[in-house]
Amino acid sequence: MSIYSSAVEKPITTIMLFVGVVVFGLFSLVQLPIDFYPEMEPPFISVMTTYPGANAADIEENITKILEDALNSVENMKEITSRSMDNLSVVSVEFEWGSNLDEASNDIRDAIDQILEVLPDEVKRPAIFKFNTSMMPIMMYTITAEESYASLEKLIEEKITNRINRIDGVGSSGLGGAPERVVYVDVDPARLQAYNLTLEQIGGIISAENANMPSGNIKMGLMDYQVRIEGEFPESEVIKDLMIGSANGKSIYIKDVAQVRDTIKDVTMYQKVNGHDGAMMFVMKQSNANTVQVCRKVAKEIEEVKASLPSDIQITLLQDSSDFIVDSIMNLAETLMYALIFVVLVVFVFLGRWRATIIIALTIPISLIAAFIYLFVTGQSLNIISLSSLSIAIGMVVDDAIVVLENITKHIERGSNPREAAKYATNEVWLSVIATTLVVVAVFLPLTMMGGLTGILFSQLGWIVTITVTISTITAITLTPMLSSRMLRLREKKEKPKRLSYDNTMGKALNKLDNWYAKIVSWSLHHKKVILGAGVVIIVGSLILTTSIGTDFMPQSDQDSMSISIKCQTGQRTEITEKTAKQVEQILRNNYPEIININSSYGYSEESNMLSLFNTTGSNYINVRTRLMKKEERNRSVFAIADDLRKKLDTIPEIITYNVSTGGGGFGDNTVDIEIFGHDFEVTNALAQEISYRLKSVKGAADIQISREDDKPELQITLDQRKLSQHGLTTAQAAATIRSQMYGMTPSKYKEAGEEYDIIVRFPEGYRTSITQVENFNIATPMGQVIKLKEIATIEEIWTPPTIERESRQRIVKVQVKPEGISLGELATAIQQDLKNVSIPQDISIALGGSYKDQQESMGDLMLLLVLIILLVYIVMTSQFESFKMPLIIMSSILFAIPGIVLALLITNTTFSIVAALGGVLLVGIVTKNGIVLVDFINLMRERGYKLYDAIVMACRSRLRPVLMTAFTTVLGMLPMALSSGSGSETWKPMGIAVIGGLTFSTIVTLVIVPVLYGSMTKSGGRDKKKTLRKQMKFMEDYQPDQKQIENK
Amino acid sequence: MKAVFIVYNMALTDRVDYLLDKMGIKGFTQWTSISGRGTETGEPHMGTHTWPEMNNAILTIVPDNKIPDMLKYIKKMDEINKDVGIRAFVWDVVDQY
Repeated sequence: MSIYSSAVEKPITTIMLFVGVVVFGLFSLVQLPIDFYPEMEPPFISVMTTYPGANAADIEENITKILEDALNSVENMKEITSRSMDNLSVVSVEFEWGSNLDEASNDIRDAIDQILEVLPDEVKRPAIFKFNTSMMPIMMYTITAEESYASLEKLIEEKITNRINRIDGVGSSGLGGAPERVVYVDVDPARLQAYNLTLEQIGGIISAENANMPSGNIKMGLMDYQVRIEGEFPESEVIKDLMIGSANGKSIYIKDVAQVRDTIKDVTMYQKVNGHDGAMMFVMKQSNANTVQVCRKVAKEIEEVKASLPSDIQITLLQDSSDFIVDSIMNLAETLMYALIFVVLVVFVFLGRWRATIIIALTIPISLIAAFIYLFVTGQSLNIISLSSLSIAIGMVVDDAIVVLENITKHIERGSNPREAAKYATNEVWLSVIATTLVVVAVFLPLTMMGGLTGILFSQLGWIVTITVTISTITAITLTPMLSSRMLRLREKKEKPKRLSYDNTMGKALNKLDNWYAKIVSWSLHHKKVILGAGVVIIVGSLILTTSIGTDFMPQSDQDSMSISIKCQTGQRTEITEKTAKQVEQILRNNYPEIININSSYGYSEESNMLSLFNTTGSNYINVRTRLMKKEERNRSVFAIADDLRKKLDTIPEIITYNVSTGGGGFGDNTVDIEIFGHDFEVTNALAQEISYRLKSVKGAADIQISREDDKPELQITLDQRKLSQHGLTTAQAAATIRSQMYGMTPSKYKEAGEEYDIIVRFPEGYRTSITQVENFNIATPMGQVIKLKEIATIEEIWTPPTIERESRQRIVKVQVKPEGISLGELATAIQQDLKNVSIPQDISIALGGSYKDQQESMGDLMLLLVLIILLVYIVMTSQFESFKMPLIIMSSILFAIPGIVLALLITNTTFSIVAALGGVLLVGIVTKNGIVLVDFINLMRERGYKLYDAIVMACRSRLRPVLMTAFTTVLGMLPMALSSGSGSETWKPMGIAVIGGLTFSTIVTLVIVPVLYGSMTKSGGRDKKKTLRKQMKFMEDYQPDQKQIENK
Repeated sequence: MKAVFIVYNMALTDRVDYLLDKMGIKGFTQWTSISGRGTETGEPHMGTHTWPEMNNAILTIVPDNKIPDMLKYIKKMDEINKDVGIRAFVWDVVDQY
């Protein structure tokens, strides 16, 4: 027994099967994680190595290069990039998509173990992090405190960051700008010299005094006592009374030569939260973790912790990337609801029977829910791609059910009882229903086979549409006939329909439309040349228009956040930078009421903390992060605000360069990167400068940035080996002495209430502010003499690059350009033109990269895909019609989707991005469906023996409603998507616009062009077949029906 | 009125259709893919591995005066290629509803 008769015979089984699917689907829906895009970040592992005191060039040579060589052979490795900064080397390894991060990190650990010996001794063991350092933190909190301000760092570290780091999926969390408690021993160098003491001696004494020592055990009576000597400082006050030596018979105490302060560490990095002092805490996720889930867990954890913190500590959320994601998904889900309502309305308007509408509407949730099962089983997330796929599918899943139901209705109206009618009617159409589904699958299945970034984005779409459409077909040939057999009844024709009844209003209107369309078709058939000419003109015209559409990679989305990084004069003191920072904050506060939160930081962090990975820090750098109110609540887009701000920043003379960025993570800004590879700093710097200077005159180029920062001044102390040995010193000894005088030394730690605080012995800042003072540093020799630094060394001021970036083990400088007012593609073309005039030195290579590269690659993939899809559709259709010609007629409608897309994009001023291109690819499937319905029916009519033109007009007339219905359901399904303006809507809008424009236009044109093409292409073929037959039957030419026969009739 | 029973090789289907159309005969009943063999000449049409060809048959009721023409043309059709094979048999129709 066939599937549809079984379904009709066993209604309860059928119902229960679908109930099962729905229940499992809803279960999956609840379990599905939410994300913005499908999991698309390639697995990333960063290796961070610190080498205190080394400059960028040292780091590059001694650490980065060695690590790069070692990591280069790790399995599944795709690309290595690195940054060498002062004190810090960061090597990021990108893995092939889908690699197992745990395995990869083990491999990396093994590789590092092998070269650990080669690294310099002072280097700390490289730390491995499972995230990409170029990714932004997913959450940022600002922390302010009053009484507890001094102990803030320990508190936060103990109570919060440790707990957060334990959360599954958190890559790392850290703190920036928190005050640290330290004990300073500020030594007066003049007094020290007078007593003939050195800094090291003081350090040695402090460390010797501040110690607890177990000293064996004593047996007394019945007991065995442990003996311990408690020498640790009970309070920091003790330090100043330590004796460090004697002179002239008098004891010298630390207080005689130094000032001891238990205080907050000197601040070099300022964090301001809305103008007040504060610390910033950030959370990074592992590169394959789900943002929303991690954020939720972190927020929950913080809530729990809050209760156990002192009451004066305020934790405020500065940025939460999951907000935007959740908002976007909710917005998209809303558009999906509207789409569903629209589709049901369209079905009702065309069918005019509520029972039929219900039967058809039921197929929608069933097919969509099946998609959730797929997502759940394959471990994917609910994201904007999967939801927009559902929007696309929603209009298509009803088509099959409509065809089946219409045929069943026809049979019932002819008088069969509903049960038999359901079986026969389904039998009639089920093969053609499956065939049209095959065409749709032919379009969408290839999407799942793509590679690269586009592949990740669109394979989900491919699967979802394929699955929903397949499920909808299964529903259409099982559930629909079953329900029809139970619910549909023969309607008695009313003699006089009520005035406002369906028959009298919509029915009449639709009849009129049918007649009007039939007239147009028959007119067109007699003016074929005019119509075909117009068609050619439209296509050629639209191809010309395509040149005026801009191209983009991913549409930029307004993520309610904006960050500004500003660079002032190199080497400028933090205090001067502060003034500019305040000025910028003032501008932000006064001009943009949309901004609700401003977090600014300036200055450099003494020890490289993780915060310095996302921002360039330094005494001349200002980083500002702002949070804006929700998109719906403000009038200006973040892009408009950024453009306006750029103009204002141009007027501040202290600012040398700035970068206003509107991306909030994930996909950042769209940029064109000019990548310059070459070893020589001077040559590559000069080239980068020349290019960036040239680019300033290119129209639409904004925010031109050179990735390599300006050289910064450095004091280089060159020790004279000969003189060193004369004094019995080694380089290492001398260097250690200089370091402790300059940087200070931490001989011991002061313990209080279980917490440890550094004791720092150093010269106060005032004693190390000029080269002369440095030259006069005292160095104790093993002979007991004290000599001046200048006796053994020369001091020079030189310039060195602060960071060295490498990609694929080559030094790289990037010139990044953002488009302003023009599209990414146009900018890239302009830049390419301009670069032709730049002479490139030997040994240096230049490449265009950034989003532009991704865009080019993805567009190439999509074009290939389009060709593949068109071929597949052609193959499916030729087999369906058993003709080479019919598919060509049908596929002509694809051509007419182009003008529709072009016009829609032009009118709405949207750029042609990957998302819009995808809309175009989808149209192939949707548009050909229209053609199939028409041509199939024309063929049918001709086989029934009608003359060609009559057959065409009749077929068109009767198929107008199904064609319009399919088109309307799809267009209206996409309409809420194209009109939505909430968070994240920029991302999916282009697809809605492209599909609506393309489908509307091509449907209208198809309705005229396809019949005309059919008329002009099939005539000759039809005649030929008859001619050969007539030739074979030549002997019948003498046949004359005589009078008698006619009378008999 | 006479009944004409035409049995023919499936290969002749188009020509038989043409003949009926040309003579203005609309009504008929057709059996498709049936097997059979001739009494005297021709190969059997059994649809088997040995005799793969098959026949169709048409039973049509036509006015008496069309019979001669019809038989004449069927004979001519047969003569184009004797091996393909077509036969027509006519008998009387006594009554009808």
